[in-house]
Amino acid sequence: MEEQHGTDPGGQRPGLDPAIRRGLTQPRFSRRQLLRSAGAGAGALSIGGFLAACGVKGATTASSGSTPAGGVGTAAWWAKQKLHHKVNFANWPYYIDVLKGKHPSLEHFTQQTGIQVTYTEPINDNPPFYAKIRPSLQAKQYTGYDIIVTTNNSPPLGYLIDFGWLIPLDRSMMTNFNKYAGPLIKNPSWDPGNKYTMAWQSGWTAIGYNSSMIQNPGTSVGILFDKKYSGKIGMMSDPQELGSLGLLAIGVDPASSTESEWAKAAKKLQTQKSDGLVRAYYDQSYIDHLKNGDILVSMAWSGDIFQADLNSKYKALKLLIPQEGGMFWTDNMCIPMYAQNPKDAMTLMDFYFDPQVQAVVEYYNDYVCPVPDAQNVLRHPTGWAKTALDAMRPEIGLAPSVTADAQTVFPDEQYIKDSKNYYQYKSQEELTAWNNLFLPITQGS
Amino acid sequence: MEQPVLADHPGLVTRRRTRPRLGKALAPYLLSLPAGLWLLVLFLIPLVVMLSLSLQTCNSASGACVMTWHWGEFGQQLSLYHTQFITSIYFAGAATIIDLIVSFPIAYWIAFHGGNKKNFFLLMLLVPFFVSFVIRTVVWEFILSDQGIILGSLKNAHLLPQNFHVLATGYAVVAGLAYNYLPFTALPLYVAIERIDKRVLDAAYDLYASKRQAFLRVILPLTIPGLFAAFLLTFVPALGDYINQQILGGTSNTMIGTVIQNAFLVNLDYAGGSALSAVLLAVALVGIFAYARLLGSRTIEEYI
Repeated sequence: MEEQHGTDPGGQRPGLDPAIRRGLTQPRFSRRQLLRSAGAGAGALSIGGFLAACGVKGATTASSGSTPAGGVGTAAWWAKQKLHHKVNFANWPYYIDVLKGKHPSLEHFTQQTGIQVTYTEPINDNPPFYAKIRPSLQAKQYTGYDIIVTTNNSPPLGYLIDFGWLIPLDRSMMTNFNKYAGPLIKNPSWDPGNKYTMAWQSGWTAIGYNSSMIQNPGTSVGILFDKKYSGKIGMMSDPQELGSLGLLAIGVDPASSTESEWAKAAKKLQTQKSDGLVRAYYDQSYIDHLKNGDILVSMAWSGDIFQADLNSKYKALKLLIPQEGGMFWTDNMCIPMYAQNPKDAMTLMDFYFDPQVQAVVEYYNDYVCPVPDAQNVLRHPTGWAKTALDAMRPEIGLAPSVTADAQTVFPDEQYIKDSKNYYQYKSQEELTAWNNLFLPITQGS
Repeated sequence: MEQPVLADHPGLVTRRRTRPRLGKALAPYLLSLPAGLWLLVLFLIPLVVMLSLSLQTCNSASGACVMTWHWGEFGQQLSLYHTQFITSIYFAGAATIIDLIVSFPIAYWIAFHGGNKKNFFLLMLLVPFFVSFVIRTVVWEFILSDQGIILGSLKNAHLLPQNFHVLATGYAVVAGLAYNYLPFTALPLYVAIERIDKRVLDAAYDLYASKRQAFLRVILPLTIPGLFAAFLLTFVPALGDYINQQILGGTSNTMIGTVIQNAFLVNLDYAGGSALSAVLLAVALVGIFAYARLLGSRTIEEYI
């Protein structure tokens, strides 16, 4: 009502009713005045000049090379560590065996070792997770995690190693790893000698297509540049994935590529886009669009296609590892600096290289298994593995032998030979150059 | 200014306290303290940090930033991404206009014909928005997919060509924005229309105004502050939105929000992201002031 009559304290009108007059003659303050004084107060405080002081503190002292200070990670340091019977494990979502909301392999681990596991799934993408734990590492504080899982094709793993933010692994606690780890992930190019990391799972970035609509997919990445499928092609928005595929398409091995070749690959991808071939640049959501027919062919992760295939509705989805090669990536377990339970972490990491345990994980996951011997366990399970696999079977719906026979879980020689590695950036400038070439493609207008 | 003539108590005005007690003098400031702190901690400090960061040079590996007064960042980012700015303004503007056109009749109808069920109708307007923003958008993605329940059936009935699609187009993005921000338009408009004294309308009719004239010369002018508030509350968030574009859009309609998100999360390029955010803020402010001038609205704060 006030607004309609006008309550401006200076406003003078003859013949007002008594209520209004009372409002006029007594010192009151309106909401507007209140807002104004709030603004003035905040303004006065802000003039203080934060400008130069505000910012983000960096790792100015951390860059002391790849060996952490204080002998952390040496044999002598490890000898002093004790088990605390608890461990905090950070992983990606849907990346471990699940049965009725529990994780059989983790329960088995606790039973065997008495170590309680707090398993969380806070990692959705590498750079944001790195940005999240970085402040703790800079402040020389526990990140809250004893084990984290990072991908070799994304810059943060290199950063973590370069800044000395990973604890070198205890060589004496890698019994299972030394015995069972497969050739693809033992002594890998991104971490020679497995000084800091042990693989969790691997996979290919290859091509997924709908075989009911595409009868002759061919054998090449050329399918993603085929005008026949114009507007029905999905590409990945991640610059590392996109750039690597562009390099394969121009016949270059990404691992040994040069900057001038990157530019050529970017040009090829730009043309693909400006010709209207690409429907959109997707994150993990490409798989839904492939399932519902929005796209017919797409860059795809091997495990996704395999998992989709398990559902009879999506039987038509097929994986194609092109003759140019499938990009092989690995998610790696590592122990961040200042971890409070490093010995428990080591115990858990090595535990997952037991073929029995890995068989159970793979029955659910269907990514590339780091332990080739798990194949035999899936075919002829015994003991704990048999109990767990049998319990999971009604939910998975397929025999464990199907997983055992899958090329995308236990690849043969040819698959391994066709695998290609990602480019390892040698400097920050290289990474910037790469991103400046490939990011504008995905977020162009 | 002439002295007010107060017939019944002529002495009141002159007896106004000349030296108010300290408590009373401080009252407005004390009362505004929570709001002031809120503005300071959640708006001004982040704003200053952002502006400061945009002038620093950052290392994306270590996250270390050094103040270098690098004004070039703005030019560089603008030369790379000016088209995305234009796309954003265009999309957000289109969505806002659609929202204003759609929600005006709704708000008008509820305010004038809602009777004693007004609250119920308002609730009905809001109920869909109790579901999370992202989920609603993803469901649209599902409904509008190429072979989905709508387009798929129409295609099977040969009413649409096989290659017709809605998703991955600019139209889908604008529609998504318009849908998601509808309540932000409808509610301020409702408040503005609700406040109109119905007798004013009767007076207009008494003076032989046609329905059209009554609307254009009475209702519309009285709702201008509400229109302005609705515009602000819709256009500004839509301008920086990236969810709709990422879920419903395709390759050639990237909005600036996506670019900023990528700068911060994928590239860990804090300086670039901050510079883009600062430009976005400036664009929004310029837009708002231009619009305020245009409508001559001085009573915005009454409505938002």
